[in-house]
Amino acid sequence: MRTLAEDTFLADDLLRQLMSVGEVDLLVGVSCHNALQQLGEAVQAIERSFQQFFVRQRVVIVNIDGGDKDTQQNDPANSPVAHPTQTVVPGHGITSLRTINRVNATFSVPPAPGAALRTLLAAADLLRARACAVVSPATCNLTPDSIAHLLRPAFQDKFDFVAPLYSRHKFQGLLARNLVYPMCRALFGAGIRELYTDEYGFSGRLASSCLSQNIWNEEAIQARPEAWMALSATGSNYRFCQTFLGEKPPAARGPATDIVEVLRQTVGTLFWCLETRQSLWLDGEPSPSLTTFGPDHELTTEPSNLDPHRIFEMFRTGVTELEPILSSILDPDTHCEIKNLVAIEEGKFRFKPDLWVRTLYDFAASYHHSVINRSHLVQALAPLYRGMTHSFLLEHSDSSPAEMEAASEMLCSEFELQKPYLRERWKTNVEVTS
Amino acid sequence: MALQRDNLWYKDAVIYQLHVRTFFDSNADGVGDFPGLTQKLDYLQELGITAIWLLPFYPSPLRDDGYDIADYTSVNPAYGSLEDFKAFLNAAHTRGIRVIIELVLNHTSDQHPWFQEARSSRDNPRRDWYVWSDTDAGYQGVPIVFVDTETSNWAWDPISKSYYWHRFFSHQPDLNYDNPAVFEAIWGAMRFWLDLGVDGFRLDAVAFLVEREGTLCENLPETHAIIKEFRKRLDISYPGTMLLAEANQWPADVRAYFADGDEFHAAFHFPLMPRMFMAVKLEDRKPIVEILAQTPDIPESCQWFIFLRNHDELTLEMVTDVERDYMYDEYATDKTMRINRGIRRRLAPMMNNDRRRIELLNGLLMSMPGTPIIYYGDEIGMGDNIYLGDRNGVRTPMQWSPRINAAFSQADPERLYAPVISNAVYGYQAVNVEAQERSEHSLLNWMKSLIPVRNAFRAFSRGTLQFLDPANPRVLAYTRQFGGEIVLVVNNLSNSAQAVELNVQRYKGYVPIEMFGRNLFPRFADLPYLLTLGPYQFYWFQLRRL
Repeated sequence: MRTLAEDTFLADDLLRQLMSVGEVDLLVGVSCHNALQQLGEAVQAIERSFQQFFVRQRVVIVNIDGGDKDTQQNDPANSPVAHPTQTVVPGHGITSLRTINRVNATFSVPPAPGAALRTLLAAADLLRARACAVVSPATCNLTPDSIAHLLRPAFQDKFDFVAPLYSRHKFQGLLARNLVYPMCRALFGAGIRELYTDEYGFSGRLASSCLSQNIWNEEAIQARPEAWMALSATGSNYRFCQTFLGEKPPAARGPATDIVEVLRQTVGTLFWCLETRQSLWLDGEPSPSLTTFGPDHELTTEPSNLDPHRIFEMFRTGVTELEPILSSILDPDTHCEIKNLVAIEEGKFRFKPDLWVRTLYDFAASYHHSVINRSHLVQALAPLYRGMTHSFLLEHSDSSPAEMEAASEMLCSEFELQKPYLRERWKTNVEVTS
Repeated sequence: MALQRDNLWYKDAVIYQLHVRTFFDSNADGVGDFPGLTQKLDYLQELGITAIWLLPFYPSPLRDDGYDIADYTSVNPAYGSLEDFKAFLNAAHTRGIRVIIELVLNHTSDQHPWFQEARSSRDNPRRDWYVWSDTDAGYQGVPIVFVDTETSNWAWDPISKSYYWHRFFSHQPDLNYDNPAVFEAIWGAMRFWLDLGVDGFRLDAVAFLVEREGTLCENLPETHAIIKEFRKRLDISYPGTMLLAEANQWPADVRAYFADGDEFHAAFHFPLMPRMFMAVKLEDRKPIVEILAQTPDIPESCQWFIFLRNHDELTLEMVTDVERDYMYDEYATDKTMRINRGIRRRLAPMMNNDRRRIELLNGLLMSMPGTPIIYYGDEIGMGDNIYLGDRNGVRTPMQWSPRINAAFSQADPERLYAPVISNAVYGYQAVNVEAQERSEHSLLNWMKSLIPVRNAFRAFSRGTLQFLDPANPRVLAYTRQFGGEIVLVVNNLSNSAQAVELNVQRYKGYVPIEMFGRNLFPRFADLPYLLTLGPYQFYWFQLRRL
């Protein structure tokens, strides 16, 4: 039998720090990612945001994955979060009325993002924060404005989840464009463009609600918990919005840029959410409204350095090598169509939207039925996603942003159209391959 | 109790600020007077204050509450005679209470005989005692102080058909200190009162004495030279007396008025006052810590004077725009409460009559570095009347008892110089000295217990200040140390209970003794010292090595 002490997950040191902070209006969690230099810049941006836009509010910056004190490099005492950069300027230079509180959550080993988010939600809950934001210095160019854009909707306009919107290259974010966004929009009604993101905002009440859910030991949400957080709010009376943050800098995630790992983290979480929130889409038609602050996302059209040929070769190789696995996941007709695609000449290759949607719905249903190990199943999607990407690059090499938006809308309609197919496959019992 | 001989008495003083008109009327004419004030000296002595700062009591047309002086060497007949003043002064000194009086150096009333002579003709010998011009083009860009009333610092004189310079109201022409005769005349006035025995002067509007083209006509070197000369003569002829500067400036700018300890003995710390109010409303120590971090060191013989409220508006000159907006939004929601760049309210109404907050602010006043000033009536939590116009709402009659006119005067109520406060919350029936003297736990009796503690420890009056920096920003903690005497002050600025861990390693081994109950607390050790405080609670600990 576990004791209460074993169930606690907040360190005493963190609790002591939170005790000193007391109730706050705004909380910003910043992930260190062992990048102290970037962390310092991020903390400065957050401070400037508070000083410019939230001068009266009670605020706190939480380093959600600080290092252990035992290692000098990770010593939170060396962290910019521990050292206020705010300078006292005589007379008119003072803009922030209150103390900008800083808290370091320290861990002996870097926590998974899920554990870090749980810590942040606990801090938000204990401090009764009204609005929160998560930012990551390692992946984006933070500015005082962008932080304010994430906080304001939750703080002033009572939104519960604030997703970012970006200006980005038309061939950036294809996973979101061709999979996550249209699928979530069709099934959850959440037309959030960027569900997997390192920067987002949320309300205190959503934080408390998420914290109280018994999911924190689930593997599926450890890597990218933010999408779960957003989707877990669908079907309730939570309010969603998107806010434009400007240009999306290129990702710099290291190992996670490997597409297999990215799919495992994102699609894996998405499929898990489909299952845990199935009552929402299986029997109903959820349609949360979505407000957008600032312009809708923007696309730029500079030349791309992606190598379509290499992507196509990886598609071909993967489909061939994974044939036995794909046959256990995909409907036979779908599988057959995909195998036929392999034989098509690269220049004429097209992964049609209806086939792509059917493929994904097959994967989702098979995930539900656990026809094979779920992690392996999600990884098996990689070659097919490459095929879709290759097709997309060919088709849209000369497309304007408007044409790409039209294509995106068409794909969304396809996901919507084929929902009965997913429902049917979801409900049909299948024989599990050992 | 006779006055102790100590030239630094102003550092240890607790000052009570009052206008003789407001305090007690002895002859039933509706106006307070010196005989009345003299009758109330026992009350002030019991309160524990050690000095009185008297607002202007000179003959005056009273268009600026007496700051428009028409005669520097006599008493406004409405307040009594010069003999009455002498009697008051002696009675105060007999009780060990010193007396600081006002002197307005910068300007006179336009009714002053000096100005009447000066304007009578361009050839009058006193013409050059004021600042005249044929045009209103001089000193462009110099700020206007009373922006709600004045549109220019020049006023047209129809008699001599020229413009005269005034930094304040147009009925207050500026004296011309470039004329040595003016300096000598003012020194003559000072000597008059010093010879009677007053203990110091609060010199009004000292920053503006001299005008120079191309400057803001403030804080000029020539002004400092004038002050130095006054000080020099004072030290030679009247040692033990003091000069207090009224300069509503940033501490770094006021610092110049201390010079090398040879200008003013003391100066008001204006920017600290709004920040004490701000800190309590924000529930955050940041404003106080920041402004004191910006406060320069001053010569050993000098002292800051600090206050919560006074006869003027709560000035918001020395705050940022953001801070001013915040103060208005939080403390002056009704625009009637605002005047010039400030808030015309008393302490208790600003605190919504919350006894805990009133006590906390008084605790801060008594423990922060500087000589504290209590504004009359605030010791009983008097209210204000924001509908009286100008700043008269905080200058209403002292409330002595629940009887007619608050027992301030036996005149008909209609005859009083100003109506007494009579609303349900702050009215004299509810808030008065008599009732509070009879109530053991009244604010008045609490003040009577607070002030002697302050008076008993020179660490408060002369000690150094060292902030502790606990992680909890709602808690303001600092030590005051004078020689071996150490006091630890811990204030909860918030409306909720707080826990705080204090790093007291440097005082390891000391025993904290709570200064009001004299109770021992656990000895300081290596670990952070945990304290819990109720809403707006504060502790004063004497630290002793036992």
